Amino acid sequence: MKAEELMVKKIEFIDADAPVYDAIEKMIDKRLRSLVVKPKDEKDTYGVITARDIVFKVIGKNIDVKKINVEEIAEKPLICINRTMELEHIINLLKNYNISRAFVCDGVEVVGVVALLDVMGAALIQKAKGS
Amino acid sequence: MGIEKMLFGGKAEQQVLEKIKTHIRILWSASDCFQKALEERDRDLVYCVPDLEREGDSVRREIVSKIYEGAFLPFLRSSICRFVEIVDEAFDVLEDAAYEFENLNLQLDEDMEEDCVKIADTNSKMCEMLLLAFETLFGKGDLREKNLAVRIYEKKVDEIKFDLLKKMRKKEIKNFWEGKTLSDFISYLTHVSDVIEDASDYLTVIKTSLK
Repeated sequence: MKAEELMVKKIEFIDADAPVYDAIEKMIDKRLRSLVVKPKDEKDTYGVITARDIVFKVIGKNIDVKKINVEEIAEKPLICINRTMELEHIINLLKNYNISRAFVCDGVEVVGVVALLDVMGAALIQKAKGS
Repeated sequence: MGIEKMLFGGKAEQQVLEKIKTHIRILWSASDCFQKALEERDRDLVYCVPDLEREGDSVRREIVSKIYEGAFLPFLRSSICRFVEIVDEAFDVLEDAAYEFENLNLQLDEDMEEDCVKIADTNSKMCEMLLLAFETLFGKGDLREKNLAVRIYEKKVDEIKFDLLKKMRKKEIKNFWEGKTLSDFISYLTHVSDVIEDASDYLTVIKTSLK
C-alpha cells in the first residue's frame, strides 16, 4: 500500500508568527493533532506544530499561550515522503525518526499526512485482504 | 460429518451461498460504476447503477426463494434473509445517490467532487471487504479482522462526511430544490457505508448464533 492510498488530505496551515493560542484554537475547532507551519519567507521552509509540542513545551512549563509564537516551538523542516512510498518504508521512517506523522509532499507542496493511526488502519486492512 | 458440513454443506445451501456472493459482487460492481460515473461525469455510467440494482433484486429474490424451499436449518433462515435484505438496502441507497447525482446534472463543486469520489472509492473497497467477510463466515479466515477493516473504512467516510457537510453549508444555494438535491445526494452517498457496516456487523451476529 502506497502513501497516497492511506494519506489524509485534511491539512491545516498556520502562520509562523501566530501565537500558540491560535494554533490551539484551530486544532480544537478542526479536530486536528497537528498543523503545518507556513514558511516565514522564501528562504524559510515548512514546519509542524503538534498538540504534544504545545502541551510539553508551553502548557507544561506554565508559559502563556498568547505570549509565545508558533515558530518558537515548531519542528522544522517537515519530514516529507513521496506519494509512492510503500507502507513498510513509512513505518521504518516513523520509527527511525521517532515521529507520529510524516507529510506527503509533491515538490514543495504538502498534499497529505500519514499518521500512526492511518498506518495501523492500513496495515490491518492489508492483513484482512490477504488472509 | 462436521457441524459446518451439516449446516452449509448441502447442495441447496451451497447454491444459496454462491448466490449471496454474486449479490455482493454486483453491489461491488455498482459501487465501482458509480465511482467512475462521478469521476468521469458520465451519464451512461450513472445508469449502470439502477441496472445493477435490478440485477441484484433478481438475485435477492432467487436467494430468498431458495431458502424458503428448504435450504438451511429453520433457525438460520431468517438471519440469512436479513443479511441479504441489508445488502439490498445498500443497493437502494446507492441507486438513490445515483439518481440525485443525475438531478445535479452530474455537476459538483471541484472541492466537493474530490471528497465525493473518495467516499465512492471507499464504498467500493467496503464492498470488497464485505465479500471477504462473508467468505470467512462459512469458510476459513478471521471474520473479526474483516469486520474491523470495514469499520476502519466507515470511519474514514465519516471523517470526509464531516468536511463535506461543512463545505456544503458554506455553498451559496440559489433555490430550494438545488439545495435539497445536493443535501440528499451527500446524505445517500455517505449512508452507503453505514449500511455496509450494518451488513458486516450482522455477519458477526450470524457467526455468534452458529456457536
